[in-house]
Formats: sequence, C-alpha cells, structure tokens
Amino acid sequence: MRRRRFLDCIAAVGLPLVGAHASAAAPTLRVGLTAVILADQAAFLARWSEYLSERVGVAVTFVARDSYQAILDLLFAKQLDAAWICGYPYVRHQAQLRLLAVPLYQGRPLYQSYLIRTRGAANLNGWSDLKGRVLAYSDPLSNSGWLVGQAQLRAAGLGPQDLRRSFFAHGHSNVADAVASGLAQAGCIDGYVWETMHLQKMATVAATQVIWRSDFYGFPPIVVRRDDPNAALALLGQTLLRMHDEPGGQDLLRALNLGGFAKPAPALYDSIRSLVKLVHGAHA
Amino acid sequence: MISFIPRLPYRIQVPTGLAVAVTVSVLMVSIVAARISERTARREIVVTVQRVITLLAAQGRPLLVAEDTFRAYALLRNTAALLPDADKGHTRAAILDADGRFLAGSDPLRLPTGEQALGVSVNARLLPRAKDVTTPRTVAAADGSLSLLQPILSEDEKVIGFVLAEVDAATFAPDWMALSKPGLIGAALAILVLGPLGWLAGRRMAQPIAQIVRSIALIGRVDPAKVRELLPTVADIELGQIAGAVHRLVGEMVANQANEQRALAAERLAAVGRITAAVAHEINNPLAGLLTAVRTLRLHGDAPDTRLRTVDLIERGLHQIGTMTTALLPQARVEDRCLSPNDLEDVMTLARANASTHAVSLDAARELGADLLVASTVFRQVMLNLLLNAIKAAGEGGQVHAALYADPQTVRFTVSNTGRAMSKTELQQRLGTEGGNDPQGFGLWICQEFAIRYGGGFEASDPSAISPPFSTSLSFWLPNRHHHDDQEVAAD
Repeated sequence: MRRRRFLDCIAAVGLPLVGAHASAAAPTLRVGLTAVILADQAAFLARWSEYLSERVGVAVTFVARDSYQAILDLLFAKQLDAAWICGYPYVRHQAQLRLLAVPLYQGRPLYQSYLIRTRGAANLNGWSDLKGRVLAYSDPLSNSGWLVGQAQLRAAGLGPQDLRRSFFAHGHSNVADAVASGLAQAGCIDGYVWETMHLQKMATVAATQVIWRSDFYGFPPIVVRRDDPNAALALLGQTLLRMHDEPGGQDLLRALNLGGFAKPAPALYDSIRSLVKLVHGAHA
Repeated sequence: MISFIPRLPYRIQVPTGLAVAVTVSVLMVSIVAARISERTARREIVVTVQRVITLLAAQGRPLLVAEDTFRAYALLRNTAALLPDADKGHTRAAILDADGRFLAGSDPLRLPTGEQALGVSVNARLLPRAKDVTTPRTVAAADGSLSLLQPILSEDEKVIGFVLAEVDAATFAPDWMALSKPGLIGAALAILVLGPLGWLAGRRMAQPIAQIVRSIALIGRVDPAKVRELLPTVADIELGQIAGAVHRLVGEMVANQANEQRALAAERLAAVGRITAAVAHEINNPLAGLLTAVRTLRLHGDAPDTRLRTVDLIERGLHQIGTMTTALLPQARVEDRCLSPNDLEDVMTLARANASTHAVSLDAARELGADLLVASTVFRQVMLNLLLNAIKAAGEGGQVHAALYADPQTVRFTVSNTGRAMSKTELQQRLGTEGGNDPQGFGLWICQEFAIRYGGGFEASDPSAISPPFSTSLSFWLPNRHHHDDQEVAAD
C-alpha cells in the first residue's frame, strides 16, 4: 500500500513536472527525494510543495526515486535542481555538489545507523552473529544502510562471503519489511527512519528489534549542483532554514519528525569521509 | 426412532419426513458434489498454480539475473496472492537461483533466503537436483501435497534459476462448509416452507382416514345407512379403495341382516307349524280313544260299571288333552299328578282301537319295583306315542308288546314291535332336524324332547338284545323322583 502511494506520488507530483521542465514552460524548482525520508506520502509532499512554492516564488515540486543513484543521475543531468541525498553520496560527489541545508533531528544535524533483527531472534545480538545469516542493506550509496554495515562487518572480522546472503532492499523502510518478514535475519537501517516509523506505529517496525546503534554521522543533506546559478535555490535554502519559525513549517517538520533545517558545514561529514576511506581501503 | 415415528400423527410425521428427506438429499448431494469438486478442484488448482509459475518465471527472470532478492520477494508476495489458499498458508512460491538455492520466497520463514532447495528435503518434500530440472516438473508427496518446479531460462536457453510452488494437501481437501452451505440454506428454506405445508397435508391426509375409522367403529352400533353417510368421499385412490371396501362391507351386512330376518321369520313360521302339528297330533291321539269310549258309552252306557269306567276314561282323556295344550304354551307351569298303573291301562285302551284297525296284536306287562314318581301327562303322552308308532311300524298282522318298569331310580317304558327294524342310527336320523320337520316322525321327536327336558333317555335297543319275534325295541325312561313338578317346564 505504501509502495503504491509512493508510485502515485511519483505519477501525480514528479513525472509531469519533470516533463514540464524539459519544455521550459515555466520556472520550477525540482527537488529529488530518496529513501532518507518516508517519501511515499503524497498528501504531505503536496502540502510541503505548496508551502515552499508560496515562499520561494516559483513552483517547487518533488521527484522521488527508490535509489540514490537514480536521483544523482537526474541531478547531474540537470533534471533536478536540488536533491535530498545521503551523506555518503555527498562525500563521494562533494566536488560537484554544494550543501543547501541539513535537517535537525532531535536538535542536532546528526543521526545513527541501526542494526535490526527479526523480533524474537534471540541468538542474533551483534555483527559477529551475522555469520551464515542473511543481511539486508538499504542502498549501495547509503551511509547508514550500507557503508556503516560494511565497516562493522570488517571490524567483526566478517567478509561478504561469510554471510549466507546479502541484498539491497531499495529503501530503509524495505529493510524493516525484509527483516520483519524473515526474508533477512538482520538489516542495516537509517536510525532516523526506523524511529520515525516506530513513532508512526508501523507494523513492520514493530516486528523488528534494534540490536546495535552506530556513532553519530552527519544527517543526510539537501544538496544542489555546485555550478548551478539558479537564484531561486538560495530562496529555497532560506525558506527551509526558516521553516521552524512558522506554524505551517512547524507542522510540516513535525510530520517529518524533524526539528528544522540548519546551514550545514562540509566538516559535518568528516566521519563519513573516514568511513569511506576505511571501507574503500578494505575493498582495495 | 423408527418405532417412535409411526406413533406420531400424520400432521407431524409428514413434515418431519419431508424435512428428513430434504436433509438426507442435501447430505447426499453434498457428498457427491464434494467428490466431484475434489476431482475438478485438484485439476483447476494445478492449472492455476502453473499459470502463476509461468508469470513468476517471466517476471522473475530480470530479478534473478540482478540477484535482486527484495524485488523478487515483493513480486512473490504479490503474486502468491493469486495462489489458491495462499491466505491460509497452504500454498507458497519461491524463485531459486541456478544452484537451486532460495533467492526469495513468498513465505520467507518456510522458504528461507539463501538455503538450498533442490536436491534436499524442504518442508518434508524431497525435490530433484537442479541439474535434473530442465523442464517443468511436478513432484507429488505421499500426503497428497504437490511441488511444481519450472526452470527459468535465459534467452539462449540456459537454466538460470527456477520457480518453485508448493501446494499443501489441505488445498485439495473439499471445503465442506462452502459445499454444503448452499444446500443447507436450501434445506432450511425448504423445511421452512415444507414444514407448515406438510403439517397441513398431513392433517388433510389423516382427516378422511380418521373419518373412515370412525365410520368403521360405528358398524354394528348404528344404522348401516348412517354409517354410509359418514363415510367420506375421497379422490385418493388408496383411500377410495378403503372407503369402497367399507361401503361393500356395510352393504353385505345389510344383506346379511335381511337374510337373517327372513330366516328368523321362516324359522318362526316353521316353529308355529310344528307347534300346530304337535297340538293337532297330541290332541288327535286321545281323540280316537275318546270316540271309542263315547261309542262304548252309547252302546253299553246302561251298565253302571261300564258307564262309570267309560266316563272316567273320557275325563282322563280330556284332562290329558287339557294338560298337553297347557304344556305346549310357553312359560306355563304344569300341575300334574304322578303316573299310576291305571294310566298304562288307559293308554293301552286308547291304543287298542288303533291296533285293531291295523290288525296288530297288542299286549302289555308291568314290573313295578317302586312307586311311580314321574309326571303322568308326559309319560302317558310318551307311552301313547310309542304304542301308536309301534303299531304303525308293525303293520298288518304285526305284534306290539309294551312293558312298564319301575325301580327307585327310573321309570322305563319299552315298546317292542315286529316289522321293519329300526337301529339306533336310524332312530337318531329320525330324531334329527330332518326328522323334526317330518310330521311322520314327530311323535318320536316329542319323546326325545321330553327325555332331554326331564333328564331321562330315549333310545333303540341293539337288535341282538331284542327277543324274537320283535325286530325293534324303543325304550323311554325318566328319573323316578317325587318332585317331578319342579322339573317340568312346558314344551315349546
């Protein structure tokens, strides 16, 4: 059902506007969304789009994809003006990207990665117990949903061959779904997404348990192309930063389970940079 | 139950029977439908599963190539809903890799990701090895469950994976509730309708039967015409036959009653005739003697002794006639004196006139060892009857001998005669019904009746015991007792 709503969102909100941009009929800001948030809520996105459009002065639309790479491809192809991506792809493409805003979660621009298991699987309590198990990742460009897990497996002395199988679930909520159903015995998931799903009392999360929490990492930022001269993007950034000052913005932030947006600094993602070096070095 | 139902009235039996018949029919139809459904359902289930497998093989191929476990799972989860009884967990599907391991299953707990599926026992089913599955295979287990395997081929016909579908035996089991539900609803509706209708039909059916029973119960108590009026007019063939039989029975009874009435009237007429004949006979017998006495009186009345004896004779003869006529009246009591030796003389005197007419020699003897305590009227009548009968039987020139015996127990009168012999059997035949109707044998019949009525006997002697020259000897006896009057009842 949520997936269907997600697809409806794409059809109703994203695709027509992408087509409109291609014809350059009207000035529009297109913002790409990934699995860093629960993006398949069409009503919420419509309200947020309306809120931003009124304040930026141009139509702001959202385009959702279930993989980071797809959003990055659209962004670099100039099909999108901005994108809400993970810190890991930002680090990988920081030369071409510029930070526009970073969400504040629980008062800080930080979040954690969780390792979750199927509820009741008592003999699975940490990374070292994953040998011979099936592990679900979120996305190959996800910090919390892949990169952190890779580093922890390495730390636990396990390589990919030690797992019975691993797979990408194409989104953090899908990781929770896979673990809840038993498709995977464990999964790497964005802590913010898991907590938000838990807050919304989603059944799939109720069937999972968090067995490990990572250190804090820079929250997935909203980025734009570094060379994009579109002045409306600055207005978009300012609007985001002021959302927590307005009741309408607060309602939207409450729905996102966020406290607001802040002006990010590249150093916020240094821990991810270290992780990339660690994992890539290991792969090398 | 079976012995209990027939005791119920029809208005309950009929609807109950209809309800039972409908219910049994529903059960039978459900059983037959279940058998048919089981056969066809199994075929349809297999066909449906094969279609789902074909769909999964087509849709799963790119996912298998990409080793996309989650999307394969999403595909299986959504597609498995098309499998029969998937919601009950009786069917499931999985996509296997080229080595026969689970890439994903619709029920991950029973079809665990990454575990070997082919060549090993999975869910108590031993599946063939991956290299042996090059074409669609169906593996039937002993418990009735099925495993269907279909290889997924690349464009160049290489096996890159498999679709596995498991169908538990429970899927093929007939759904008794679903099968019997329409029948049960129909039966309930039928019972709802047939119950009251059956009650009415039972009451309507029982009503003429009860009326016929009431009519039959009245036969013999009321006028047959009334019985016929009470018989119902029915259209039912069987009931019509019963009513017709009762009609015929009543008709036959009416005819029988009429016949009986006619027979009774005839009997009464015959009885009147017999009585009349008996009266005439009994009166006629002494009349002959009386007429002789009158002639004697006319000829010799001047002699005082002769006149007095003749007048006494006439008086006794008239008394006899009076006594006999009185005795013949029903319900009358007879006052009579005891027999005396003179009575034998009187009878002999009366009979001699007849004997002389027929030229028969007549004599008498008496041997009285006790007083005569029998009714004179009866005994005189018997003696006279027997003498006249013997005279007649002896014929012209014959001999008749009479003897009167008395002892403390009996008084016996025996008459022997020559002429045609009469055996015991012949006497009994003469005394039978036929003889009773025969005026010629009426005197003997009267003797028999007197013997029976007064506790005596009347019989013929055995020919060997009869002294020559006599051929027949009839003997009449009565108990010799004083209170004979108490026993005397007038003859009919």
